[in-house]
Order: sequence, then C-alpha cells, then structure tokens
Amino acid sequence: MQLFDFGFERPASLKGLIVGTVAAIGVAAGSTAALSQDASGEIVMINWLGGAQGEMMTKLQDDFVAKNPKASFRNIVPQAAGDARGGIRQIILGGEQADLLINTWPAFRKELADSGLIIPVDNVWEEQNLGDKLPDAWKNLSVLNGDNYGVTYTFGNRSGIWYQTSTLQNANIEAPTTWEEFVGGFAALQAKDITPMAIPAKVWAHAEWFESILIRTAGVETATKLANHEIPWTDPAVKTALGKWAELIEANCCRDPNTMLATAWDNAVDASLKTGDAAYVLMGMWLNTRAKVEYGKTPGTDYTIFQFPAMGMGHDNTSMVDAKEFNMLATAKNLEGSAAFMAYMLSADAAAIMADYGLASPSSDADTSLYDPVVRKSVEEVAKAEKVQFVLGDLLPGDLGGEYRVQLQKFLTDPSSNNIDQVTAAIEAVAAGAY
Amino acid sequence: MVSGTLDRNSTGEALPGRITQMGGGSHKRATSRKWAWNDTTAAWILITPLLIFFVISVIYPLFETFRLSFFDIRGVRAPKYVGFGNYFKLFGDPNFQSALKATFLWTFVSTAFSVAIGWGLALICSLAPRATLSFRVMIFAAYGVAEAVSGFMWIGIYRPDVGLLNSLLTTVGLEDWAHPWLGDVKTAIWALIAAYVWTQVGLPLMTCFASIQSVPRNLHEAAYIDGASPMKILRYIVMPLSLPGVRVAIFINLLASLKAFDLIFVLTGGGPIRSTETIGYFMYRESMQNFKLGYGAASTVILLLAVLVVSIPVIMKRTGEAR
Repeated sequence: MQLFDFGFERPASLKGLIVGTVAAIGVAAGSTAALSQDASGEIVMINWLGGAQGEMMTKLQDDFVAKNPKASFRNIVPQAAGDARGGIRQIILGGEQADLLINTWPAFRKELADSGLIIPVDNVWEEQNLGDKLPDAWKNLSVLNGDNYGVTYTFGNRSGIWYQTSTLQNANIEAPTTWEEFVGGFAALQAKDITPMAIPAKVWAHAEWFESILIRTAGVETATKLANHEIPWTDPAVKTALGKWAELIEANCCRDPNTMLATAWDNAVDASLKTGDAAYVLMGMWLNTRAKVEYGKTPGTDYTIFQFPAMGMGHDNTSMVDAKEFNMLATAKNLEGSAAFMAYMLSADAAAIMADYGLASPSSDADTSLYDPVVRKSVEEVAKAEKVQFVLGDLLPGDLGGEYRVQLQKFLTDPSSNNIDQVTAAIEAVAAGAY
Repeated sequence: MVSGTLDRNSTGEALPGRITQMGGGSHKRATSRKWAWNDTTAAWILITPLLIFFVISVIYPLFETFRLSFFDIRGVRAPKYVGFGNYFKLFGDPNFQSALKATFLWTFVSTAFSVAIGWGLALICSLAPRATLSFRVMIFAAYGVAEAVSGFMWIGIYRPDVGLLNSLLTTVGLEDWAHPWLGDVKTAIWALIAAYVWTQVGLPLMTCFASIQSVPRNLHEAAYIDGASPMKILRYIVMPLSLPGVRVAIFINLLASLKAFDLIFVLTGGGPIRSTETIGYFMYRESMQNFKLGYGAASTVILLLAVLVVSIPVIMKRTGEAR
C-alpha cells in the first residue's frame, strides 16, 4: 500500500497540468469577488513563512482584506529554526484555535489527517469551484484515503540549479546541459577562484543534490518507493546515486567538508547569487524571492537557472518539485472565511502578487505573462519533465528525515564506498522503525 | 467595636499572632480562642497562593513529564503505554550516549573555565575596585545578554567565509589557522564552549568579587605588618577566604551548563553530525522536532536527575547549616 498519494503514479497528468499552467494566460476577471463574497470575521493562520516570503503572505492577506473589509487575519508564528513542524505541533496541541495551516510536507499532512487534526476540504473544492482552476492532478496531490486535505497555492522546481550570469561569463563557460559538461566546467571556475558548488550542509539543504541525482540515476519510481520504504535505503540505487555525488566531490566541486557542514543555506545562496564566491546552488524557488527582493538582482539578467544536467542513465526526463498548500484545521471556526481565502489564493490577483515575489501559481487563472524570466524558465523546465517527484526529505517521517540528513552529512565527510555502505545502513536502521 | 490587639501572657510579654477582642469577658475570650490564628495557620494562609502557583507551574509539569515518559508518542498520534520502555531505549540509543558524553564535557569544562576566569578577574579587580568598576559592569553585561542574542554575535565570529575570527587570523598572518570552527566535529564543541564561557563568566566574577570584598581588612593589615608579600596575602588569605563565592559560582554554573540549550540551538543546532548535541538539545530534538514526546520526556527525567544530583547535596549543606 502506498503511504502517500501525490499523483506521481500519474506523471503524464501532472505534466499536463503544468503545461496547462504555462499555457494559461486568460484571467477570469471578477472571480475573486464572487469567491470571497462571504468572507468575514477573523481568520487565524499558522504562518511560519519568514523573510520576503513572509512579507508576500502579509501582502496577500492585506489584499484579501481590502476585497473583504469584514475579514481580518491573526497569524500564529511557530517557534522554529529550519523545520517548522515541531513548532506547528506545539501550536496545534497547545490548544490554539487556528483555521488554516501553511504546509509543505506531505508526510506532515498525513500525520495531521490520521490524527483528525486537519479536516477534508472537498466541500471547499466544490463550493468554490476550485476544480476549474486546478486540474485533478493538483487535487490528487493532497488526497489521502479518498479525501482531499489541501489547496496547493504555489509550486516550484527543485531541480533547477541557480547561478549568476556574470560568474559563468567570468569563467568563460556556458550553462551545462550534460553531466560531463557540468563536471568539466569545474576547472574553469576553479581557475578563477570560484567554488563550483555551494553546499550548505549545516542543517538540511545538502540533501537537495542527492535527491536530484537519485531521480536522474534511478528514476521517480525508485524515489517514491524509498519515500514509502518499499525498498530499503541499502538498495543499490541509493548507493549509485551517492557514488555519483562522490564523483562531484572528487572533482573538487565544493569547499572542504568542514566548511560545508558549517554553511547554512542562506550563506550558500549569498555565496552563489550575491558575492559570486561560488557558482551553483541548488534549492527551491524562494531563492528567486531572496535574489529579487533582498539582493536587488534582476531575474534573467543578473541570475538564472539551468535544469539539472542530463546524466544519460535513462531518467533525464525527471524533475524534483515542491509545493505549498493550505490545510484546514479541525479547530477552524471561520470555515467560510478560510474557504474564501483558499479560493482567493488561486485567483489572478493572488497569482500576480506571488509572481511579483518570484513564485509560480498552479492556478489556471494566473497570468503567466507576469512571471519573470526565471519563474517562467523554471515552470517550463518542470513542464518539460515527463515525471516529477516531490522533495524526498519532506516525504519522510520526522525522525527519519532528521537521520537521513545527518547521515548525508557523514557522507560528505567521507564519500568512500565503504562509508556509503555505513551511511545507507544507518538510515535504513532508523527507517525500519519509522513507519 | 471589635479591634485586634496582642494577647499577653502572665509575665506581660506580647504573644505575637494572637488576636483577642477588647473588653471581652471569659465567654468572649473562649469564643475568640476558637477563632484565634496561630502561627502555623497564618503561615499556611500566607504561603498558600505561592504553593498553588508552585503546584501549577512546577509540580504539575513535573508530574506530566514523568507520566509522558511512560508512553510512546509519535507526532500527534494517540499515545501508547510502554512502561519503562523509553528509558531502556534511551540507554541503548547511541545518540543519547553521545549526548551524555557531550553534556559532561560541556558542563565540567565550561564551568571550570567560567569560574576560573571569573575568579581570576575578580582577584585582579579587587586590587583596584573603584578603577575596575566599568570593566566589571561590561563583563557582567555579557551575562545579562540573552544567550540567543549572544549566539547570533558568535555566528558572526565563527562564520567560515567572512567570520571575524578567521579574518583576524588571516590579517595577522595566521591564515593556516583559519578554520570552519563550527563545521568540524573536532572543534565545534570547543568553539561552543568558548562562546558559552564568554556569556557565563560575569556571574563568577561578581560572586567571587563580593566574596573577596568581604575579607576583613584587618587580616590584610596584620599580614602586611607580619611581612607577608602581596602574593602570599593573595595565596594564603584572599584566595581561601573567597572560596564561599567560588562555591556559589560553581554551583550556579554547573546547573546552568547542564541545562544549556539556547547557544547550541543558535550556533550549531546540535551539529555537525550531532557532535554538539547535549542532553538538553537531545530532549528538544526528540520532543519538539521529532515530536516523540514520551521519549523526550524520558530524557528530561534523566536531565532532571542529573540536576538533582548536583543540587541536592549543596542545598542540604546550605540549609542544614542555617539556624
């Protein structure tokens, strides 16, 4: 039995929806007002977004309130560093009467749904006609045991490698399309005293490289089986992926292991997209928000992305993706207001605000002409992929996710095949008791 | 009219706490005795609000922690009773064993350095108390700063790319010594201890300084007249007589170090590869990140026992001496 059901077993339909998202330009004018006509009262949201994304969410809430003057928001911010799930659990179990939760972890959705702490939103989909804006494949992303628990409002390409255009110009190389070109370009970058890859291994972000390598070497199906623990972590597919990553380390892709382990994700992004000390960084679409808003860089001109290079192992048509959704909590009091806000988040106005912050909306109402070149390229790359996989680390149960990242840190300190055996065995030992 | 007054015994001494009614006969006196407050009653009435607060804020959470430690709780799912299962599992968990070792290292090294440096500074400051006032205030201010805030400052010092420490080392020609201090499993805990000692040294400085100041002046004078050198006065008079302040500093620093969390959370998050994970951080990770509340509670009980082992002998000695 599948533990999670994201619709990745139907890759063609997911591809279709993303293609549809890219193609859709028309905007249903006035639809927001119709959707949010009943919104009033206080909407309480568990909101863990910080920085520019937090600013974006405030803007979205303000816009909703401007359209629905009787509505207001109260944000409950969990205490968290890195993974916000612990703080969110504290809030929910602490008795806060919240209406909505921003969620990006499918495993967490299942945990909350199994415990009856979030409620199905099928009626919201019907009453607000969300099916007109989000195809079934998006709906299926948040379906558990036949019930739909979420409304996805943004998605991102997690196999896009970010770089500053000036960095590659300085090294006189082009954005690589194949693994050989990618590794082959390291020497030119190093000659200019540029570290080819910024690896932030302090907490979690180092897993991104492994996950994209895994789906390119073993395919989406293998990654899904791994997420569901239908195959062990000692499977040869995992070892092959780690072996390919070891090739990068042997080619001096990165700083020394201790520096990687001391680097937080934001410092790595600074090194790549701000100072230019490093060339490439692999992370989610919030980098676009950071580079635009915090660094003041111009997307497409100052920086852009290229898709993870083809490895020639039969799975180059794959991409890693992430998404954020709203879940409705069982404690929700303002059901109408919450439903209206969920619907608003799929409106053209909300999509325009998100586009301004460099994020893509899955809604067919989104005016994609507002996307900056990086968002457009990112969405196109995902659309081109025949199969997509949700971020593996976010699919794993809490303690397994933690162990997985710690063991990958150990791998970075010693990428030998002997250590690969130990690392995979250690993850498997925790996985065996985690489901 | 009824008003309160002090009852008196046969010798005319006031009996505090007794309230009688003015002008009452024997019947009235008997009635008043029935309603009279004795010391114990008054004490209970006065202490009750505090006791209620104590039960709600300390005893109940403690009881709940013990209770939770007997359950297997995963995420927000229903708890399952496992008896002492969490405790057995804890002592077989290599991460907990590693956290125990890190906690002992952290606690004893940071306490030793904090107190030694604080005591040393106090001895130096005692040579010129007025001239060193601003210096003492500055050192103590670090103790007053929240550890989380100090943590962010130390991140700026230890950052491998643009950190102050590596920049300084490079500037003075020691670039080979520049190092990702928080990324190396061998140096991370020592880097953390250094930062923690910086935050903690203010308290030993103040307690030791106060203790030194309380050494009677005539002892200094007598030693001086007897021809003792300043070093001998320091060695045989000031240092031994300032030990009460040192003991207090050791006690407080030991307890604080055992429970340390904020600085570790901000600087390393228990990493790299869990090398800086103390029991306090282990408890947080299991309880709040993995949300295995029962398992986390069991580790909390172990930490509580460690704190009690340190504090009970000291408290008993202190209160036992009180009369």
